[in-house]
Amino acid sequence: MVDYKLEFWDKILPRVQKPTRYLGNEVNAVAKDLSRCLLKVALAFPDLYEVGMSHLGLKILYSLINDHEQWAAERVFMPDSDLEAILQNEAFPLCSLETVTPLAAFDLLGFTLQYELSYATILQMLRLGGISLLALSRGEEEPLVVGGGPGAFNPEPLADFFDFFMLGDAEETLPQVLSFLEQNRHLSRAEKLRSLSRIAGVYVPSLYIPDFDQHGSFLGTTPLHANLPRQIQRAVVEDLDAAVYPEKFVVPYGSIVHDRLVLELFRGCTRGCRFCQAGIIYRPLRERTPAKLKVLAKELVRTSGYDELALSSLSSGDYSAIGQLVTELGMELAKEGVALSLPSLRLDSFSSQLAEQVKQVRKSGLTFAPEAGTQRLRDVINKNISETDLISAATDAFAAGWTGIKLYFMIGLPTETDEDLEGITALVRKVTLAYKQAGCRGKPRVTVSVSVFVPKAHTPFQWAGLIGRDEILRRQNVLRQSLRATGAQFKWHGVEPSLLEAALARGGRELCAVIARAAELGCKLDGWDEHFSFENWQQAFRDNGLELAELAVRQYALDDPLPWDHLASGVTKSFLQKEYELALAAKVSRDCRENCLGCGMSLLLEGKNGKEGKGACHDARLD
Amino acid sequence: MRVWIKFAKESPMRFLSHLDLMRVWQRAVRRAELPVAYSAGFNRHPKISFASALAVGVTSAGEYLDIQFTKLLDEAAFVRLAETLPQGLKLLDWRQIPEGTPALMSLVCAAQWELPLQADECRHLQQAVSELLSASSLPVEREGKKGIKTVDIRPLIYSLAADEKESCLRMLLASGGEGVVRPVEVLKLLCLPDVAGRLRRTELYVASGQCFFEPMAVLLN
Repeated sequence: MVDYKLEFWDKILPRVQKPTRYLGNEVNAVAKDLSRCLLKVALAFPDLYEVGMSHLGLKILYSLINDHEQWAAERVFMPDSDLEAILQNEAFPLCSLETVTPLAAFDLLGFTLQYELSYATILQMLRLGGISLLALSRGEEEPLVVGGGPGAFNPEPLADFFDFFMLGDAEETLPQVLSFLEQNRHLSRAEKLRSLSRIAGVYVPSLYIPDFDQHGSFLGTTPLHANLPRQIQRAVVEDLDAAVYPEKFVVPYGSIVHDRLVLELFRGCTRGCRFCQAGIIYRPLRERTPAKLKVLAKELVRTSGYDELALSSLSSGDYSAIGQLVTELGMELAKEGVALSLPSLRLDSFSSQLAEQVKQVRKSGLTFAPEAGTQRLRDVINKNISETDLISAATDAFAAGWTGIKLYFMIGLPTETDEDLEGITALVRKVTLAYKQAGCRGKPRVTVSVSVFVPKAHTPFQWAGLIGRDEILRRQNVLRQSLRATGAQFKWHGVEPSLLEAALARGGRELCAVIARAAELGCKLDGWDEHFSFENWQQAFRDNGLELAELAVRQYALDDPLPWDHLASGVTKSFLQKEYELALAAKVSRDCRENCLGCGMSLLLEGKNGKEGKGACHDARLD
Repeated sequence: MRVWIKFAKESPMRFLSHLDLMRVWQRAVRRAELPVAYSAGFNRHPKISFASALAVGVTSAGEYLDIQFTKLLDEAAFVRLAETLPQGLKLLDWRQIPEGTPALMSLVCAAQWELPLQADECRHLQQAVSELLSASSLPVEREGKKGIKTVDIRPLIYSLAADEKESCLRMLLASGGEGVVRPVEVLKLLCLPDVAGRLRRTELYVASGQCFFEPMAVLLN
């Protein structure tokens, strides 16, 4: 037998540029004796170590599995080009970090689907791991390949490569899946998958087929057998305090993208921004209690040695006890020289008091996301913040000592006109003015970061299309011109990655062949400029008779069957449609903590185990 | 309380850069809950420094840290520190030093290196070693920011021997003080190219009077 670890550490690592990415014996990494484990899971993040190690979901699943004595979870990331070339040329398989075990030796290989631009990388990792790309051609000895995360809510572009997907909170589904696999090793792949499909939240794509009419129009995706559910319901963890949270973070050697501890305050968001997929697929709002958070914070600091802790969630300022938590936790941590940071603050929840508290520990950069330049367009997207909110938040921040601010906008939102673009410039002017009004001298550093709106499945804007290449370029240009006089720094996202993201985000199974072809052409790590090749992707679409740019701008009619209709987030399609219509009429919907909007979540929670749901949906009733 | 710590850096820790290693120690000290002193000023940093940088890929049995703590610590504290280190880092020894002692980095003047060899390799090397030692000067070229400059390293090679019994090449080279000799420079002169991956640093020395002492043994006042 090959001693992969010896070979890898002694012969391969000395030849790569950043060996610490691949070392895997970091503090708090868990390396079990795999021969004594009943179930071996490889957790794969289809990007570089620095990105994947910054992801909280991976840490949660790593703990969840490894906390079980006889289960082992090991990590694997996409190698950078230098190591990839060595592995390929020397036929050395892609291995896990902990025990340097080839991917093919695991029982289960899980990929997180965080963004569409990582999809080709998944195929590269399968290839490097020596695992058959197509689920249907995998042998009995090969691992089951599973996907989860936001991408699992429209996984059809990846359906051919995955044995199954898990929708929703894996804390809920994964233990059931693993217990089943542990107890049923003797079953064939097909038998395992059939049984797994009975677990709530599990979607086995090979048991569902897309139907087309005689003209080739898509009719919907239906189960192969009558006893399969027509719709797969997302799994929901109801009590976050009771759910697994890692008490030890693996501590990297080199610096990673988010090199700090992360504490998840809550899951879900009640704001109802109409472009936001996370706002839908993580409903309802579920908070951890301050008591639990404080215990976790202390333990994380003690076991890692980190000196920074970030409070994270979709909109941290919405945490019901945010002021108290920041004060108390901030004081406790400051004693130990640990800085507290609050990255995701909505600007209407940013108060001067909070500004002072965060500043006490560390003055990190401040980012606000008005998303759109005019009140009309902010009403369209239901970003319920006003110009007054922004100006007062900026004034507070400047008065508290910040000298720079980053503003985040999107272009290409439904109904956007040039007037809305001018609105961005007008806002920037007012923010600059607020600096003087706050009594500061000179000019603030204002950075305007503009991304392209990409419509996502399971959102009110899922029917809309991307605005298209020429129009994106034109609007970027309009903005660039008008921002010039303000002295603000203008940062924008590339057009081509946005086109690809849009084409993949709302596609169906026809894209499987495209992604396979793209991987064949060498596409990988498409989130990185130095790796992204738009030409190769265009080629991959054309080789399959499709046009990337056309798919990116495709609009769906409201009554069109959608490739993700058989996957339920808990929010009903009729709710999304109602929200879309309100959007087009520039009418806002209130925060659902104030008033239940009847999105469907409360029904899903009540149906579950016959008991009523907790959290924001507790008292909700549909009319 | 000011302390010198002696530690070993073995594979796989040999892949850590200077910066990575500093981060590892800073975090280990925090995990062990040792009260390290911080520098004053806006960008506060813990008062931890290395005696000497070590190239990536090289192992060592004689590395040193100089740490300032805010309190007196007992043996138990260093046991805790030793236990929280990642695999490949070993805390070997520690000693308290007088507060006013100059930074260990500024005291180090020589380093002992070893290169494991095959027995016959070792025998063949004897000739080259004695020729090298009998040379009156050994100019080597170094590329710096201001272009290439030539340095005579002969006076900076304090000892050099091919040990047949232990099958290794042993070198005591200047490192700080009078100058620096990189071990690969000597290997190149001995026509032993591309063996840097097997190099090992075994000890650092500080000078006291005419003699070299290990940092753990030197008298300080």
